[in-house]
Amino acid sequence: MSRSPSNSRSTRSALRLAITAAVSASVLALVAACSSGGGSGGGADADYTPPAKDLSAKITYAYWDATQTKAIKENIAGFNEEYPNIKVNLDVTPWETYWTKIQTQASSNTLPDLFWLNGPNFQLYASNGKVAPITSQVKGGYIDPKNYPESLVKLYNLDGMQYGVPKDFDTIGLWYNKDLFAKAGVAEPTADWTWADLSTAANTISSKLKGDGVYGVAGGMDGQTTYYNTIFQAGGSVVDGTKSGYGDAATQKGLEFWTDLIKSGASPTMQQLTDTPGDQWFTSGKVAMYYGGSWFRAALSDAPVKDAVQVAPLPKGEKQATVIHGVANVVAANSKNAQAARALQNYLASEKAQKQQGDAGSIIPAFTGTQQAFADSLPGVDLKVFLDAVDYSVPLPVSKNSAAWNALETKLLPDAFSGDKSVKSVGDDLAKQMDADLAKEK
Amino acid sequence: MTTVVGARPRRADRGSGRVAPGSGRGVRAGGEAAARRRDGAWPWLFVGPLMLGIAVFYLWPIIQTLYYSFTEWGVFGGTTWIGGANYTRMITDPDLLSSLGNTVLYTAIVLLGVPIAVGLASLLNLPGLRFAAVYRVLYFLPYVAMPTAVAMVWRMIFNGDHGILNWVLGLVGIDGPYWISTPGWAITAVAIVGLWSSLGFSMIVLAAGLKAIPDELYEAAQLDGASRWRQFRSITVPLLAPSIVFVSIVTVIGSFQLFDLLYAIMGASNPALPKSMSLVYWFYQAGFVDNEKGYAAAIAMLIFVLIGVVTLIQVRLQRKWVSND
Amino acid sequence: MTEVLTGPRVARLALRRRRGGRQGSHVVAHVILATGAVLMAFPFVWQLIMSLSTNAEVQSVVPTFWPSELRWQNYATVFERLPFFSQLGTSVWITVIRTLAQIILCTAAGYAFARMRFRGRFLLMGLALSILMVPSQAYLISQYQIVQGLGWLNTVAGIVAPGLFSAFGTFLMRTAFLNMPNELEEAARLDGASPIRIFWTVMLPLARPSINVLAITAALWSWNELLWPLLVSTYQDQMPLSAGLATLVSDKNNTDYPVIMAASMLAMAPILLLFIVLQRRVIDGLAHSGLK
Repeated sequence: MSRSPSNSRSTRSALRLAITAAVSASVLALVAACSSGGGSGGGADADYTPPAKDLSAKITYAYWDATQTKAIKENIAGFNEEYPNIKVNLDVTPWETYWTKIQTQASSNTLPDLFWLNGPNFQLYASNGKVAPITSQVKGGYIDPKNYPESLVKLYNLDGMQYGVPKDFDTIGLWYNKDLFAKAGVAEPTADWTWADLSTAANTISSKLKGDGVYGVAGGMDGQTTYYNTIFQAGGSVVDGTKSGYGDAATQKGLEFWTDLIKSGASPTMQQLTDTPGDQWFTSGKVAMYYGGSWFRAALSDAPVKDAVQVAPLPKGEKQATVIHGVANVVAANSKNAQAARALQNYLASEKAQKQQGDAGSIIPAFTGTQQAFADSLPGVDLKVFLDAVDYSVPLPVSKNSAAWNALETKLLPDAFSGDKSVKSVGDDLAKQMDADLAKEK
Repeated sequence: MTTVVGARPRRADRGSGRVAPGSGRGVRAGGEAAARRRDGAWPWLFVGPLMLGIAVFYLWPIIQTLYYSFTEWGVFGGTTWIGGANYTRMITDPDLLSSLGNTVLYTAIVLLGVPIAVGLASLLNLPGLRFAAVYRVLYFLPYVAMPTAVAMVWRMIFNGDHGILNWVLGLVGIDGPYWISTPGWAITAVAIVGLWSSLGFSMIVLAAGLKAIPDELYEAAQLDGASRWRQFRSITVPLLAPSIVFVSIVTVIGSFQLFDLLYAIMGASNPALPKSMSLVYWFYQAGFVDNEKGYAAAIAMLIFVLIGVVTLIQVRLQRKWVSND
Repeated sequence: MTEVLTGPRVARLALRRRRGGRQGSHVVAHVILATGAVLMAFPFVWQLIMSLSTNAEVQSVVPTFWPSELRWQNYATVFERLPFFSQLGTSVWITVIRTLAQIILCTAAGYAFARMRFRGRFLLMGLALSILMVPSQAYLISQYQIVQGLGWLNTVAGIVAPGLFSAFGTFLMRTAFLNMPNELEEAARLDGASPIRIFWTVMLPLARPSINVLAITAALWSWNELLWPLLVSTYQDQMPLSAGLATLVSDKNNTDYPVIMAASMLAMAPILLLFIVLQRRVIDGLAHSGLK
């Protein structure tokens, strides 16, 4: 290396300059990030009093379902009649990225003032102090939890503290195809059906209509629409406090309900249901019964089977049960405009706003008595089944880190559904691994 | 073909200039190095802006990740130093071997695209070939297509009951598997899509490399009576070597980063997914699903080292290969 | 130099021969290329067909290959559901900034890494390359907090910043410059041209085909990038088209497949167009340099 000394020095100083600049920029960034990461502040713990009507503020409301934007805009217009100077920025992020975004924002204390949370994620945010309780709003009478389905209100309660009320809900029902029942000469489902009735009907249809490639029944192979329901109907549980329920005999009976249907050919196999989801089997007229949520209504509007569709309550096992779930609006604990955000939270929970949501027709609003629009939305189909189901509904099972054991379910249960392993051995194994995850939550 | 004329000055340079760069530092010494001595601070002007940005937005986060890999990192921040615990846990995690195996299988299949792309690109480069522009666009389509939409189409193609792939296989008497819901087949299916979508990129890079090879070399070889296969082997491949190596390295790096495609094609609730995990999927699962960010940081470091080693091996092989020719 | 003088004549002769000799074999080439092209384009053609079908047709268990009627209204629906043109504008703006920045920064750095001698160049190139070896999600939170620290959340600067610096592009351009002959550069240097002048007037024109590759990959990457813009911006009017399109799929329970297909056709059109234009320019470019 015969570099001349002067050049080498200039090179080195250029390098030093570059490094200094890079480091100082990073340090600057880090310091800024840390300093904004202080306590929860923002007055979220303060008692709520309605802000002055002329309060001027700019808040962000984040959610994931773009199809609800129209209804939400109507809500905001109503809210602005009361608070004309609170400007609400709507931030809709697609489902897949919503959680990554919210998590990053929570880590950086830049959460939106008001945002949607669902059951599986709620406890994670509440237990880490990221969302503000609504205690003083309830005390002041601005939100009354009694107006919403009780089992669902509980979902947003952690250690006796209420953090939000549901804005909507969904329950599960038995969708069926009247034409296929007639073709197979089987009597249609009734509200009194039991597991045995379903099994008999499904097997009969599968064998009689085999030539058409039609099966008796299908599920989504996910907890919410299929096996959680049957687990609860069998008297079992998924998660009980800090313990997994999968080791219980009753819970395993709820799983066997599905493995038996698959084994006997009453249902397509797990692989068939992965390649073509259960809802597509149903809308194409290739499956006579489908365990599906109330939201499935929307998929029927242009389906070939839409004139043959009817819905019945889920068949009873040991008892009647359906999973209920719904999202809640929550206020960020460190919102700088907590009063404005809470005012909007209250407004969105009000009967007026809820009715607007229901009339827009994409969801079932949670406020009791605002659901008529949903019930009427598919003439001839008994959608009231989903509203009546609230009475015997069980909230979606969650814990502080639901995602961890949800992943275990997807990992282990397939071996049972495919028949490779017995339900008992899979259930016991799942219970063991899940307990380990649940123990880590504290 | 006016280009023949244009290529003239370049051809003269080729013979001497070609081999030197690939074979590394040594060859370029001599007169050239003397000239280089005067570069002084200039290189820093050229490299500085880029490196500054890379340091701030990428290297610094990597250093942070390295630090976090020795900690237990709360979901929303807050770290506790736990030494090498994440690493010892990682080594005994059964997901390590399965995700590594899947990633290697995927990479191997997608790498098949490189020789295919070399062949196709040189066919497209045939002088006087008609519709070359049309072919180029068609081969480039998959690279431009939006991943979400592509995934949906491929799911339908791979459908076990009604997919077109199994229908075609059925014509020749093969009973096709449930591609995307059978562990083992699933990663193969995803790799086929990976190959399909990366081919267009490899081809345009190689095409740019081919453009730089002067036609006269082929013509001279033709006069010497060399067969076209021989021309391909003794002119195209060696002169294209830097581009081929570039494409291979980029393909390997990209394949080791397999995540989006796997996720989009298989779907989050696919029962075969846990057995078809890639390394990055494993990382994602740990960091963003299980919320164990410290552990995820350790996995990220493992991926970092693995890709680094594989890339180094490729660079070494390249030096050997090019200097042999 | 004598070789150069005889070159053209020999070349022309050889060319004639080669043409004659190869005409027949082009049939084989066409068979191979066409088969490949069908395989490559088929999924895409299907996507086009699906974008003109009904949701029920797309989701029917036995696939429908041709819709009962071509539903062009799926495309109209995209425009209805998205602020298409404002998002398109954002996308174009972001893409232009990032593509230009990458061309400038990567070409300059790639040139220095390939053809200049300075201490630590292998180390620096290695460092730059190493950033490709970490899962991209590992950067998210750190980058977010850096942008936050700079006060760039919800700004165009924040959306584009990390994407201005591309290790991949640098590597690409380094490879391109490594391939180039030394003599032209030497000659210019002996004429006393400054490095920046040599870079600009001698080397850059030679690198045009690779710069085009860089441009198309940078643009494509920027165009399709989804997660980062969504992360740093909370304002819909700042969202690029890719993010907007993703919201079409947002309702996980009811997906309108044909509309998504239509939207993705619309989204990829500009990049395809750019590719066709650039490809033409490569050919023109070479022809021009031949006339000089």
